[in-house]
Amino acid sequence: MGDYVVFHDVAWHGVYALYFFLIGISAALYFFSALSFYREEFKPLRATSFYGAFALLAVAGLILVGDLSQPLRFVNTLNPGYWNMSSPLVWGTILIVLYGLVSVWYFLKLGDEKAAKLPAVIGAVIALGLPIYTGFDLAVHQARPVWNTPLMPVLFVALSLVSGAAVASFLAKGEARLLGALRQIMLWTTGATAVMVLSLLITTAYGGSSDELTYMFMTSGTIGGIFVGLGILGGTAVPLVLLLLPFGKERAGLLLSSVLILVGGLSLRYSILMGPQIVQTFFS
Amino acid sequence: MSEELRTSSIETRGVAGKKRYAMVIDTRRCIGCMACQVACKAEYDTPLGVNRTWVPYKVVGTYPVVKKQFLPRLCNHCDDPPCVRACPVEATYKSDDGGFVLQRYERCIGCRACMASCPYNARFMLPASRTYTKITNVVDKCTFCFHRVAQGLVPACVQTCIGRARVFGDLNDPASEVSYLVARNATQVLRPEQGTKPHVFYIGADRNHTEFGRDIYRRPDVLEGDRAAFQRTRA
Ligand code: SF4
Ligand code: SF4
Repeated sequence: MGDYVVFHDVAWHGVYALYFFLIGISAALYFFSALSFYREEFKPLRATSFYGAFALLAVAGLILVGDLSQPLRFVNTLNPGYWNMSSPLVWGTILIVLYGLVSVWYFLKLGDEKAAKLPAVIGAVIALGLPIYTGFDLAVHQARPVWNTPLMPVLFVALSLVSGAAVASFLAKGEARLLGALRQIMLWTTGATAVMVLSLLITTAYGGSSDELTYMFMTSGTIGGIFVGLGILGGTAVPLVLLLLPFGKERAGLLLSSVLILVGGLSLRYSILMGPQIVQTFFS
Repeated sequence: MSEELRTSSIETRGVAGKKRYAMVIDTRRCIGCMACQVACKAEYDTPLGVNRTWVPYKVVGTYPVVKKQFLPRLCNHCDDPPCVRACPVEATYKSDDGGFVLQRYERCIGCRACMASCPYNARFMLPASRTYTKITNVVDKCTFCFHRVAQGLVPACVQTCIGRARVFGDLNDPASEVSYLVARNATQVLRPEQGTKPHVFYIGADRNHTEFGRDIYRRPDVLEGDRAAFQRTRA
């Protein structure tokens, strides 16, 4: 053994998970900003969460472009003559460009209660498309267990909302009603995430040979520590319990849950991104 | 294969007037000399650490009843290639005649979606600097030696194969050697369940290679050291 062996590399490295994380938070923050037109308690968030969304969009966009091995050729993705509509990356490009443009429109109208509503709503719908497309980014690769499940887009929407709500709870500056609403959102979306991840674990464990290997890989060793330890236990189960306790209704409890949720959100995205890829590199 | 299995408009199977190039690899004839791998490296100046074709081996059995099993590997030039579907800018495409899955290096943005979608690890990223070749920082893979085949030659690996384990030709031509081999032998493709309809057919492929890699649990230290070194070169 060991005289001559060929190794393979994963396609997408960890920084892609950071992109998923940031763009998901950006989308949710925009959504909360738009929600302020319908729900009084979200009003204090309108401007701050929009600015947060915009800043994160810029950072996430730079990460995405910087991760290309030919960063300047990102202009190729803006050329409709090149577009291959069967690739979710194209859907993502279109969504991100639209999201950026609508954000600018919203920014210009932000002070005007009436005129700002339209860009807020349109932007929120586009923002919802961002986690959906990132989910499909993974789901379309039919050879990858965990990725190639209908859960991915839904899971990414839930992760986006829960991570966004966690960030928003820091922006809320102690507004009791707002914190209450954010707690509700976190509670429901963490619960939904827990159900989805459980279902993912079971279907993967009971799947075929590559699923079985992926399950074993994602529940043991370093990736197992990140996925099960930080993602499921520390970042989903513990905050879920915390939020249900009376302590979770206090500001300190909520913020503690938010920190755990953010760690969990990044860990889940990272391990879901990397686990199936690392397993794939072991195919002859 | 029956006509009703043709499901995608991109496929070339049985399309009148179109060539459908394929490779048949008879693993019983492969002696593991790696001459194909070297010929390919020479043909394309493929950098260290990455390969367009490679010959993994597995030592099977328990001493003294052992055998080294080889499985020459390359891009399958799938009839329904997921990599083409995944590329956002059509930098990877399937040629209409011949079925070659090729790269437009000048267009590739390096998003690696094609690498993520290939079930066979056939694609790799070229390094940022190369000594003789200007093509850098884009994804590359086997081209079925498109430039040679267009001139009536066979791919470099086929030309060099000392055991005649690799045979290349047009499957749409019933008189070709590949058609004969596929018709007369029990053949196998890799991961058929992926629906990619590979154009590389194996005779006598060993299941220690074709089954999904259990090696993930059998990682000798000597290999892990090499793997770590490989990862460092990719970082
Ligand atoms: S083997 Fe991989 S790279 Fe080659 S055509 Fe099939 S999916 Fe594409
Ligand atoms: S890396 Fe290049 S060839 Fe591959 S999907 Fe991206 S643009 Fe297409």
